[in-house]
Amino acid sequence: MNYWTKSAMALAMAVGVASPLAAGEITVYSALEEEEIAAYVAAAEAAMPDVEINVLRLSTGKLGARILAEADNPQHDLIWGWAVTAMMDPQVLDLLEPYKAAGSEALANQFRDANDRWFAATGYLGAFCVNTARLEKKGLPMPTSWADLQNPAFKGEVLMPDPNSSGTGYLHVNAVLQTKGENAGWELLKSVDPNMAQYTSSGSKPCKAARAGEYTVGISLAFTAMKSIEDGYPLAMVFPKGGVGYELEASGLMASSDNKADAQRFLDWTLSAEALELYGQYKALITVPGVETSAAAAEAGLPSDIRRILFPVDFVKSANRQSKVKAEWKDRFGR
Amino acid sequence: MSVETVGAQAAPTFRKWIDSDKALAAICVIVPLIGLFLFFIYPMIIVFIRSITTADGTYGLANYAEILASKGFWRATQHSLVMGGTTTILSVFLGFIIALGLHRCAFPGKTLIRVAIVLPLIAPSLVQALGLIFILGRNGLISQFSGVEMEIYGFWGLVIANTLYGLPQAVMIISAALVLLDARIYEAADVLGSSPLRQFRDLTLPAVTFALLSASFVVFTITITDFGNAAVIGGDYSVLATEIYSQVIGQRNFNMGAVVGIMLLIPTILSYYIERQAMKRQKTQKATNIHSYVPRFQAIRDVPMGILNFLIAALILSVIGIVIYASFVKLWPYNFDFTLKHYNITLAGGYSSLWMTIWISIGAAVAGTLAVFTLAIGLRHTPEMIAQPVRILAAMPAAVPGMVLGLAYILTFNSTATPLYLLYGTATLIAVINFYHYHTQAYLTVMTGFRQFPSELAEAGSALGAGIGRISTTIIAPFVAPMLVSVFFFLFMRSMVTLSAVVFLTTPQLTVAAVTIMRLDDAGLTSQAAAFSTAVMAVVGLALLGMKGAVSLLAKRNSRKSGS
Repeated sequence: MNYWTKSAMALAMAVGVASPLAAGEITVYSALEEEEIAAYVAAAEAAMPDVEINVLRLSTGKLGARILAEADNPQHDLIWGWAVTAMMDPQVLDLLEPYKAAGSEALANQFRDANDRWFAATGYLGAFCVNTARLEKKGLPMPTSWADLQNPAFKGEVLMPDPNSSGTGYLHVNAVLQTKGENAGWELLKSVDPNMAQYTSSGSKPCKAARAGEYTVGISLAFTAMKSIEDGYPLAMVFPKGGVGYELEASGLMASSDNKADAQRFLDWTLSAEALELYGQYKALITVPGVETSAAAAEAGLPSDIRRILFPVDFVKSANRQSKVKAEWKDRFGR
Repeated sequence: MSVETVGAQAAPTFRKWIDSDKALAAICVIVPLIGLFLFFIYPMIIVFIRSITTADGTYGLANYAEILASKGFWRATQHSLVMGGTTTILSVFLGFIIALGLHRCAFPGKTLIRVAIVLPLIAPSLVQALGLIFILGRNGLISQFSGVEMEIYGFWGLVIANTLYGLPQAVMIISAALVLLDARIYEAADVLGSSPLRQFRDLTLPAVTFALLSASFVVFTITITDFGNAAVIGGDYSVLATEIYSQVIGQRNFNMGAVVGIMLLIPTILSYYIERQAMKRQKTQKATNIHSYVPRFQAIRDVPMGILNFLIAALILSVIGIVIYASFVKLWPYNFDFTLKHYNITLAGGYSSLWMTIWISIGAAVAGTLAVFTLAIGLRHTPEMIAQPVRILAAMPAAVPGMVLGLAYILTFNSTATPLYLLYGTATLIAVINFYHYHTQAYLTVMTGFRQFPSELAEAGSALGAGIGRISTTIIAPFVAPMLVSVFFFLFMRSMVTLSAVVFLTTPQLTVAAVTIMRLDDAGLTSQAAAFSTAVMAVVGLALLGMKGAVSLLAKRNSRKSGS
């Protein structure tokens, strides 16, 4: 008797937690940064007081594994701010439902899917994290481009993420290949390879290792660099001349969502005037025309006219050829 | 229990025991087996199916062929084996020294050794990695003081980190054999004038062979499946776990990762088989009556052993201690002013996950200890034909990398096809995965204790008319109680900090401490991650003290009861 009541109770509790979410609640999977998520969600919930927004935050790679593992029975209503190169994986596109979010028509074609399955209001930049204390100690010149890293004096002093494990790694490799062209690009990567101390599996690790003074240059993310400079680390953020790698943060509606109305309202909100104003505080790259970038970004050395240092990345091309590029990279530089 | 009473009403006195005993033995095996089937085999079958699912959706061995043809796989395999072997030798050797020091030697300050040896189990993986880099890194303390830059990243960094991780588990298993050795044999040896070295060779070593082999098996297995250390301190030294990460996380290709995951089972099954073969040739000496051994001070043995023990403990304490220290300074390694600001954690859910994690961990520890105990009892009464495969199965879960197990749980339990879906997204499932992730260690520790159990005691009990239920609770349980207690604490501690599998099972509403630490570190807030880790270690330490107090109180009350 006792046993049965107990198990019935346990069952009921399990059902309570696992049952599909009721209307008025949406579950969002996101790879945006913790800090901005907290700010955006607070604002969005104030704008839509009848909707509770539950966010699961994971890094780009782990989120991808999770989304695909759950693909047969997705638990989330939408994907918010996830690397577009990952979003364009056909396995993921199949899960999305076309939705033309209010305001998405203002975005340039390269920032939204032709079939409206995703759009990207923001993005993030790749950058070099240079430890100025270590640079000085080693008597090295400040690198300003990929070509500068060919200098044998940098031997064992440079870290970058492995494109086969990290989206940030692919972002940089893709930037080099697209700006220099295939042949010259591979040659450049090859000439930098002997100086690479490690190819890491995490995208932010090169910057964290550089700021701790373990290495001089970490090829990594602008976000981590800016955060570290703000914290007081002896770090300089360098955008390599000739083309900075960047990635778009795409959002889309899950076809499986059982609360599409609220999910769509939230997607609309991410393009609202209020959201755009918040992006100005956090984002280095905003694709919506006419929005200023953040003060922190300017302080960390981000050019005010960000588009000047960006080359037009062809994301469709970038996504389509990624397996080929990754395989070739592994063949050439895999350790 | 209910089975016994039903039997009592239905059958005459004599047959009652036979029937209920058989039934009870069967239940003891079947219930934990159902658990292993549902929460280990079933998910692993799904992993296997994914490993043979090719890109175009048909079944075949193409994925295996592709992996076997890549030179990266063979390089990683070779690296994994060399690194795993080196780590195993180091961990088991050092673990044996610690276990001997704790149970067979007389020197003061053993509490400190016990505390130090537990630390790697309750330290989130980030702490160990940070600690090693803070000390041995290129900009670490040793490099700064000596002026020579150490090159820690790579093979040796990985071996040191994994040895620290494997050491406590080796100590736990080896201790299980040492703590139960009968003191009277040693007293007799003393009377006969045999030297400590001779006693060690002829008495101790044969008695702990099973434990040494089990410990080797466990350390080797957890080392070749661990990704965390490889990622932070392994540098470019690619191992099989990094290959899996690259496939599953980097390229969103679970099927290819599943291939490597399945192949990781091979060295594990092989090494388990070798261990069992070695055991067959080994005659075990079993005590008929247990007097616990109280070592008397012998300078020739205890001075060097004491020094070695404290050296190992000092290494562990400094690795963990430096991270705790760093969590109280403004900006490691540039500004060493004291601050508490890193403890003001508001992002990633703040401290809220800590309390949920405690409940999950207690659940995993209680249920897990009960499950391995009943399984071990049941196996005593199971025909060898069935027991043998069950033993291999029970020792296998450690061979599955956490990442693979976690994703396998999603594939298995996030499906409305079975009622198991009710578990998905619940704290229960997180407790379950924590237990099965560490099933091997729990099972082998209890088995090591059981091997020392003098079956004459049970036979005497059953001659006096006691059934399995009574014998288990009144004779066996007190005998293996030290093992059960250490398994309970082991499961509790690991559940508090393990990350690799649970990271895939958390939901927006349900998260655990290890995931919070990862999220803080992902956000670039390494010092806050260290502060949160320190808070976790403090809470676990307090919980351990509380539970240890309760256990010793209980033991005292029990001994008073049996004494009166």
